Amino acid sequence: MSEHAIADRATPKRLAPVQVSLATTYATLLRWTLAQIGAMLPLIIVVQAMLAAGIIVGFGFLIPNIDGATALFLSTGAPTVLLLTIGLVMVPQGVSRSRTDGTFTYMRGLPVARPLLLAADLTVWLLIGLPSVAVGVLVATLRYDIALSFDWPVLVAATLLVTLMATALGYAIAVSLPPMLAQLVTQVLVFFVLLFSPITFGVGQLPEWFQAVHDILPVRPAADLLRAGLASDVFSASLRDLAVLLAWTVAGVAISVRALVRRR
Amino acid sequence: MNDDVLRVDGLTRRFGAVVANDDVSLRVRPGAVVGLLGHNGAGKTTLVSQVVGLLRPDVGSIRVGGVDAVAEPATARRYVALQPQGQAPIDGLTPRSAIEMSGRIRGLSPSAARVAAESLAEELDIGEWLDRRALPESRGLSGGIRRLTAFAMAVAAPTPLVILDEPTNDIDAARRRLLWQAVRRRGDAGAGVLLVTHNVAEAERIVDDLVVLHRGKVVAAGSPARLRGTTGSDLRLELQFAPDAVDLEAADGGPLPFPIRRTVRSGRRVLHTVATDAAAAAVTWAATLRERELIDGYALGPATLEDAYLALTSSDVDEAEPAPTGTEAAHV
Repeated sequence: MSEHAIADRATPKRLAPVQVSLATTYATLLRWTLAQIGAMLPLIIVVQAMLAAGIIVGFGFLIPNIDGATALFLSTGAPTVLLLTIGLVMVPQGVSRSRTDGTFTYMRGLPVARPLLLAADLTVWLLIGLPSVAVGVLVATLRYDIALSFDWPVLVAATLLVTLMATALGYAIAVSLPPMLAQLVTQVLVFFVLLFSPITFGVGQLPEWFQAVHDILPVRPAADLLRAGLASDVFSASLRDLAVLLAWTVAGVAISVRALVRRR
Repeated sequence: MNDDVLRVDGLTRRFGAVVANDDVSLRVRPGAVVGLLGHNGAGKTTLVSQVVGLLRPDVGSIRVGGVDAVAEPATARRYVALQPQGQAPIDGLTPRSAIEMSGRIRGLSPSAARVAAESLAEELDIGEWLDRRALPESRGLSGGIRRLTAFAMAVAAPTPLVILDEPTNDIDAARRRLLWQAVRRRGDAGAGVLLVTHNVAEAERIVDDLVVLHRGKVVAAGSPARLRGTTGSDLRLELQFAPDAVDLEAADGGPLPFPIRRTVRSGRRVLHTVATDAAAAAVTWAATLRERELIDGYALGPATLEDAYLALTSSDVDEAEPAPTGTEAAHV
């Protein structure tokens, strides 16, 4: 066992540890994350917006002679599909990439409160997701001539919460599973969201036991909440939906933060 | 009073059956540059990862700036600037913006961060690339410029402890010299620097102290002079063997005609450390071997730290007296 001592130099200056406000750290991390996406950011936002339009128009082809009620249901569900797709596909892909290329470890080695890394990431995905909701709604009104009735507080809260829930869950999946497995899981989840979730069709079309499953999964509550914000005259959401959504969000954030903070 | 900026005591970390760090202890004082030497897989990066809270030690303590880094990793990290072994994530950024943001994260004001980027660019001679954007797939900036940028990011703001993990990889000889000077300057400005490297020869010139890690254990520690181990006047006789040489131990089959302090085998090279007064005999002997084509070539020069390092980290070393017979020449 050896230990070494160092020859004394002439009274070295004591340097202070890093002292930065959380706000400055957050702002800098946000700039850093945005810069890394860089030139791709406008393109990503445009493609997401086009996907939003695509879902509205495309799903319409599935149903010939679509009536007003169905069109309204479909159009108000499309934003949920989009936000869930961003959260469950794009976010895990991004996180897996940063884990593979070392960015994840590098950022964790910085003198920052690690949960802020998650906060900066979530903010960026929020920026990417929100325009597509607006575009989706716009295309829906133009295509089907539907009458929306916004409940702004509900709409804003629902959009933020659904985006946060989806991105936090996607983040949690990507930090908990090996990259390949994470990719597989997200594929399955998208399939599930698109085809087996009462977002673009009524929950009544599912068998009863499956409806019960959707009572505790975040997908239907997310859709219902957003719908209630977009067409408040026709749809409403329950506090229970809100509670389910919050519970999943908290779980996603908790798992993600744990993965960021944890030492192996 | 304990004023160490880094103090590691009895640190052990296992990965399954592999003991990556085995009862490691070392200290870095403010103002000191400490070289952490070791082969690939010696456990250097594992050690660093525990200091910044990426890995948790199995046993032992780490104190950074007096803070218990095992119990309070987040607080301890505020004392550390790390340049990891991998490249820094600067795709999409220019070196200027990367250094500025790194400075901001470490507490510099916007104007101080701008000044830091300018002066670091000058110090490392990367001004030409300061506003060129790094692009994905290693485009835009070369590996060396990226590595220098990563160094500048780590030292953008003064930090009590600077940890540099192989900072000279990919960097050209001229800028490597600038980098070493920059490292030394950080130490002289009061930072404790832990310099992880396998570039023994170059690091020797700027470090105050060295710690040699081998298979997870500290096998030697002290000043470069102390580690060199032999008296200052010792010489090193290097014999270069042919690829098909069988016995590297005694090339001509007989005992060596002069006393040897230390013998190290490194690949097809055999390094004998000999006293100055044996120089003539050693050269005569080596020249004879060369003539008889038992060796490809030889060289005689002053003993270096590298010889001592190789001796410490090679399993194939004979101290003072060469092993009698039957030593396996496994490295042929």
